[in-house]
Amino acid sequence: MILITGGAYQGKNRYAAEKYNLDIGDIADGESVEINSISDYRCVKNFHILIKRLLDSGENPLESTQKLVGENPNIIIIMNDIGGGIIPLEKSERIWREQVGIVGCFLARQAECVERIICGIGMRIK
Amino acid sequence: MLVLITGGSKNGKSLIAEKIIENYDVPRFYIATMQPFGEEAYAAIERHRKMRKSRNFETIEKYTDIDEIVLPEKCAVLLECACNLCANEMFSANEKNPVDKIISGVEKLMKRAEIFVIVTNQVGEDGIEYPDSTMKYIENMGKINLKLSEMAGVVIETVYGIPMFLKGEISGCIL
Repeated sequence: MILITGGAYQGKNRYAAEKYNLDIGDIADGESVEINSISDYRCVKNFHILIKRLLDSGENPLESTQKLVGENPNIIIIMNDIGGGIIPLEKSERIWREQVGIVGCFLARQAECVERIICGIGMRIK
Repeated sequence: MLVLITGGSKNGKSLIAEKIIENYDVPRFYIATMQPFGEEAYAAIERHRKMRKSRNFETIEKYTDIDEIVLPEKCAVLLECACNLCANEMFSANEKNPVDKIISGVEKLMKRAEIFVIVTNQVGEDGIEYPDSTMKYIENMGKINLKLSEMAGVVIETVYGIPMFLKGEISGCIL
């Protein structure tokens, strides 16, 4: 499993597509993909949005992620870093932000490679 | 030595801080700055308490005025976190100069500590324009982080649990 992270609009998706030869059809969008079909894809982008969708549907994001990685141990996961800044006033946003951190720590532990993308430039941090 | 650890929410800052302290076989103190307001704060405090339980930390709850803390010589100290401390100084204690007050408090405690680890946050990272008092808080936290980073021998940013050494290094310590 490979984790690709970084801030919003830093070129993560393009970086991943070029480096790992991904076609559009290989990439699931966490914002819209049918959740049960994710393990069929080579890559899922916007994983932080997927975490929000899981929370909204009452699922435990960490458990769902563990299941996904178990089913598809070679998946490439792209997610934004959203843990910085002022703690949001809205409780659901606070929970989402924390869950992205918790799931991200799990993914980074499991991953054989973690890359952080800034200005389109990848830095391998694991 | 002072170690500064920054990083996002639930990115493993505390765990790395505690692993660093574990390498020091001296009395360990945990300065807890979070005021227990509301159920989430209680949950966070409980989670951190559990993590510290097996690591023999003595907890000192101090929400402001860290300069008043009395430590024995040659101890290990973990302060969590600078952001709560600054918010408490500004919004609970109406402190006019929280930056200098916190920095001089840290300087005082550093004299007693063999290892002093401070956890902080990047509160200025979201780019949202907040009301004046919050913007002032972000400014003060930026100044505190800059000053602490200058004083520190090691500065670490955690990215989903992975320590990135921005300054210095810790040898012989598996994080």
